[in-house]
Amino acid sequence: MKLTINGEEKQFENQMTVSQLLTVEQVKMPDMVSVEYNGQILKRPDFDTTNLKDDDKIEFLYFMGGGR
Amino acid sequence: MKPETLAIHGTTAGNGFGATVTPIYQTVSYAFDTAAELADVFAGKTPGYIYTRIANPTSLALEKRLADLENSIGCIATSSGMAAISSTVLSLTRSGDKILAATGIFGGTVSLFENILPRFSIETVFANAANTETFISNIDDRTKLIFLETIPNPSLEIPDIKAIARAAKKFNIPLIVDNTSATPILVKPGDLGADIVIHSTSKYINGHGTAIGGAIIDTGNYNWRNGVFTDIKNTSKKAGPLAFLSHLRNLVYRDLGGCPAPMNSFIMLQGLETLPIRMKTHCANALKLANYLNDHTKVSWVNYPGLPASDSNQRVADQLNSMAGGLLTFGLGSKELSEKFIDSVKLAKNAANLGDAKTLVLHPASTIFHEFDEQKRIEMSVTDDMIRVSVGIEHFEDIKNDFQQAID
Ligand SMILES: Cc1ncc(COP(=O)(O)O)c(C=O)c1O
Repeated sequence: MKLTINGEEKQFENQMTVSQLLTVEQVKMPDMVSVEYNGQILKRPDFDTTNLKDDDKIEFLYFMGGGR
Repeated sequence: MKPETLAIHGTTAGNGFGATVTPIYQTVSYAFDTAAELADVFAGKTPGYIYTRIANPTSLALEKRLADLENSIGCIATSSGMAAISSTVLSLTRSGDKILAATGIFGGTVSLFENILPRFSIETVFANAANTETFISNIDDRTKLIFLETIPNPSLEIPDIKAIARAAKKFNIPLIVDNTSATPILVKPGDLGADIVIHSTSKYINGHGTAIGGAIIDTGNYNWRNGVFTDIKNTSKKAGPLAFLSHLRNLVYRDLGGCPAPMNSFIMLQGLETLPIRMKTHCANALKLANYLNDHTKVSWVNYPGLPASDSNQRVADQLNSMAGGLLTFGLGSKELSEKFIDSVKLAKNAANLGDAKTLVLHPASTIFHEFDEQKRIEMSVTDDMIRVSVGIEHFEDIKNDFQQAID
């Protein structure tokens, strides 16, 4: 499965949910991250139930201040 | 997860010790090992906290939990409900713009719109939002936002949020709903189409009258990329759907300085855990008290949206999960009799707050509305004999007995 994560294409062998991707990608401060999934912000309760598929685009966003 | 569970088990700010409660991060700033690391955080390349006026771990845990409870994409916690309203409105308006607001909303909000915003040439048109058609007929090409309350206090005339949201969408302007008096337990305005939800967390979310706070929540319904706000549109190139919150966090909220104290965010998180069960009791007690007052011969009138005779009763069923909230108003026919009632209650406290566990009574005309003249008060549906009750979660019999002895 090919995913675009923060603008970068990556290949993954296994099926995954968004929550699992947070672990696999070792996303910093996973409690605090907002996930943009194909242009929409995912609501937190949906992290566990959203199954990623080929060509999905994911952005990890933090809005704790700073440049964004 | 259901709200009862989310309120308790939602996001906590991580801590290394297994503490079961979100710690209070009582700090101003956050130190980094290298100059490059802090520079990366400032540049938004890597997550991190910089300064508590911008973000704080305890407050962020509260923000995440509130966003989840409102089924929304993000939240910014503020030092007060008024800070939430002023920051939101100042991010979305500039000189020459107009606001369309409901009549009968909280007096502090009215004062901001009428006394402060005109200094910056921002005009507010007030209209009765309970009548959707006439309300939305006030939208014109200068209108930049619509402002409502789910259960307006003290008019208690419930607007049709879905219908007004449809109109806002047609004009491509955001609908802002202050959900302080209903809370997400009764209604999630975003599910009805509202774009931004405001809370004074000082009220039901705190629940015990112990701290002032507020929140700004983006429901995710407004498309900032195609919106009418050029600066936020530009932010959306980087921040995507979080553009509005990012614009606040990195500009308006940061520069106006309305951040909450970490201690208060902790108190609000504690309050949230019991919000679902408390709201049910507030609503049940209010309905019983409204019925009791309605049957009392010395009571001239009672206004509670949960009474079948109320014009808002159908909207309680349609929008509010059939729970009409913890606020009611009633009159005893004259200012003197109403003041005598307030002087005679023993259990209920005479206080300018609502949403406390304790039953609170207030004479709105001579307190929170004293700055407005009589004509204006009538427009705001505040009569001289009006008593506002924020019905608490004591045993109903004790509340009833207190009211009974004070009326008789
Ligand atoms: C509906 C509503 N919105 C906003 C506010 C203002 O909130 P705060 O007192 O937290 O600034 C209040 C306060 O009474 C309120 O009742």
